Amino acid sequence: MEKLSYDAVVIGGGLAGLMAAHEIAVSGYKVAVISKVFPTRSHSSSAEGGIAAYIEGNSDPNDNPDYMTYDTIKGGDFLVDQDAAELLSQKSGEIVRIMESWGTLFNRQPDGRVAVRYFGGQTYPRTRFVGDKTGMALLHTLFQRVSGLDIDFYNEWFALDLIRDDKRVVGVVAMEMKSMTPAFFKARAIVMATGGMGMLYAHSTNAYINTGDGYAMALRAGAALKDPEFVQFHPTALYPSDILISEAARGEGAILINNKGERFMARYAPRKLDLAPRDITSRAIITEIREGRGFPGGYVGLDLRHLGEDYIKERLALAYEAAKNFAGVDATQEPIPVRPAQHYYMGGIDVDITGQNPDLIGLFAAGEAACVSVHGANRLGSNSLLETLVFGRETGRAVAKFLSEHKEEDSNSLDKEAEKVVDDAYKFVKSESGVHFGEILNKLRNVMWEKVGIFRDEDGMKDALSQIIELRKMTSSMYVLDKSNTYNTEFFNALELRNMLDLAIVIARTALERKESRGAHYRTDYPERDDTNWLKHTIAYLKGETVEITYKPVRITRWKPEPRVY
Amino acid sequence: MSEEEKEIVVKIKRFSKEKGSWWQEYKLKVDRFTQMTEVLRRIKTEQDPTLAYRASCHMAVCGSCGMKINGEPRLACKTLALDMVKKYGKNEITIEPMDYFPVIKDLIVDWTDFYNRMFKVKPRLYPSKEVLEGKAEHRLKPEDQRELWKFEQCIWCGLCVSACPSVKNDPEFLGPAAHAKGYRFLADPRDTIFDERLKILIDSAWRCTYCYQCFNVCPRDIEPVTTIKKTRAYTKFLSEKTPVALTGEKHAEAIAKSIEETGKIEEAKVYISTYGLLTAITDMIYAMQNGKLKYALVMEKKVKNIEQIRKIMGE
Repeated sequence: MEKLSYDAVVIGGGLAGLMAAHEIAVSGYKVAVISKVFPTRSHSSSAEGGIAAYIEGNSDPNDNPDYMTYDTIKGGDFLVDQDAAELLSQKSGEIVRIMESWGTLFNRQPDGRVAVRYFGGQTYPRTRFVGDKTGMALLHTLFQRVSGLDIDFYNEWFALDLIRDDKRVVGVVAMEMKSMTPAFFKARAIVMATGGMGMLYAHSTNAYINTGDGYAMALRAGAALKDPEFVQFHPTALYPSDILISEAARGEGAILINNKGERFMARYAPRKLDLAPRDITSRAIITEIREGRGFPGGYVGLDLRHLGEDYIKERLALAYEAAKNFAGVDATQEPIPVRPAQHYYMGGIDVDITGQNPDLIGLFAAGEAACVSVHGANRLGSNSLLETLVFGRETGRAVAKFLSEHKEEDSNSLDKEAEKVVDDAYKFVKSESGVHFGEILNKLRNVMWEKVGIFRDEDGMKDALSQIIELRKMTSSMYVLDKSNTYNTEFFNALELRNMLDLAIVIARTALERKESRGAHYRTDYPERDDTNWLKHTIAYLKGETVEITYKPVRITRWKPEPRVY
Repeated sequence: MSEEEKEIVVKIKRFSKEKGSWWQEYKLKVDRFTQMTEVLRRIKTEQDPTLAYRASCHMAVCGSCGMKINGEPRLACKTLALDMVKKYGKNEITIEPMDYFPVIKDLIVDWTDFYNRMFKVKPRLYPSKEVLEGKAEHRLKPEDQRELWKFEQCIWCGLCVSACPSVKNDPEFLGPAAHAKGYRFLADPRDTIFDERLKILIDSAWRCTYCYQCFNVCPRDIEPVTTIKKTRAYTKFLSEKTPVALTGEKHAEAIAKSIEETGKIEEAKVYISTYGLLTAITDMIYAMQNGKLKYALVMEKKVKNIEQIRKIMGE
């Protein structure tokens, strides 16, 4: 097997990965970015509404970073590590300034400065935006910027597994999808920036490529996931294709209505109404539908009409286009049909505020793949784009510092390990008959949606867990029909399914264990938040079929937990 | 919202280096919301896992799923199955890989040449040192932001290039996508390498034939051809011009002069002014041999109310 050598390898070419790679490269280290898609195809491009930022001299005069920190902590139902939230708020203005200076075409105020709008859970408006294609604008800016640096890109390479010795990560094995040739990338540091996992759920706003690969690779290498039970559902996905209708719509004044024409959010969040956080709004919509106040097929209406045609087309172009193209609805004339769908994963690879994982020396993570604990139990809109860039940069800097302190150690003896990773991947699917990945995949996505979704209870999750274990067993007889050695996507889909199952078992198991309701984790059998027993992070390891769970305290600096009402 | 299902036949042009190319048929039920990316996903997960294609965001922002659907270059996600059935009046939909790009497997094509062209135009902002160091702030008029944003929305999907005849024939032509990207930075008041960009773009800009295919197929309505026109208008700022750019500039001037004089484009005169007498005579012999000379010798009369045309041109 070919052996390549780098100081650091970043897996994932979205915003977090590219920002980390930028910092490592400008510090003078040799860095490679491995991505299973060309970087501009990453899921960061789908982020719509905006990036939150407090900008000195260009924010509401009453606002300050402390309010932003508080909003983030409260939004996350107090499971947020408060030092992480403070860092996020304090660096927000600087990050937006940097992206602006690199060319991002933020919408402007009449005086030429960056404009701002409201998003859910914000005390003052803080969301900076480029129409409703902010993620796409930022991703292209950053990719274009780093493409001018000395970074080696391995696009359309599929990362199989990390290679480790007894305490350090020493590299990763990846395969070129076009030629199916594997290579061992030796590196002193690895940054997991592999994004989220929406494909685990039957309904998701995520890209098809979001299969949780990074979480599974970290688990198999012996690293823990933090708070894996926390899965965010976005209240307004277009019915029935689940394309995201940005929260920006409600930020700009759109309202949710049921089949009686009622603004039903008045019942669930009397003060914040339609701009209540996502978990509360999602549950409200499902409740309306379950109690017979939805429209046939199972959705509610998102009404933009009063905003006026020009305003809709300029500021909410993507929402307007999506409704028109994919649901045949003219949003200037009738409400957009929406329902909740999986959207974001608050859980992730356990890291501190420098992106470093405590289990494996040299393992870092950033973006949605990581759990810095800045979103806690529920992420506020506009905070994920901000997280990718702020913590992508912090992580890249921490990697550079790590590299300066850690000399290369001999790891020649690990070539065999690398060979084994490739053998395992093939062994997994080498049968001549059996089931195809699609059969198992569809079952998994349905069971996750039905039983480990917006509303959860003990019986449902026990059932889900036993089904997932069963599906995991089925994969031992999974079989790949395509035998070609050129771009064998069936093989990679099977490997993605392996990753999804490794993650699913951890989500279901930890969700079953957390006997309270907090943020996006809502238990009908334990409907209250329980700070006495559960104000703590879940830490989960995967050992074969067993999920080992421990807990660690939430870092609280200045904000004592209080009831979360909007 | 009715969700009536309808069975369709999907014919996909497959390719593998072992077996060459062949057409394969699938049948499945779709409703009025079913995107072509969903059609492909369902074929792969439910019927034939060997089918290879690219798709990512399914909302027309990542540019992965460019292909030919019923012969049209389109994003699969932005195409609803039943819309194609309605448009072509039959239940059968054909899917092929994009033209121009070499095929690797099934619908997956090789992007190397496309990316090389995109990187040739230095696709990134070069801000001033003061701004980069945080000592100064860019301000941008909302109307400038709107104008640039139109062209910045290129998602590198390659459909315009697959539809462009010039890019196939002329290796010196950068192609519509690279021009859209190049112009987006050329026109950005925050950029500092205007002259270098002009040098990269002008010669190529005059190699476009204005066929408008890029304009027709762009799923984000970028209008790459518009950026080429706008780039050509900068030719006057370039001190050293290539022969192609010089000829182009002369051609544009000759057309303007012809319209000013007669209100029409006098092909023969424009040709002589553009290419000079000597080339024109040589080409005339060629035209004669091919029986086309009579078209070059048509004499145009002035249009009525020529004064009004001159007034419009003066404005």
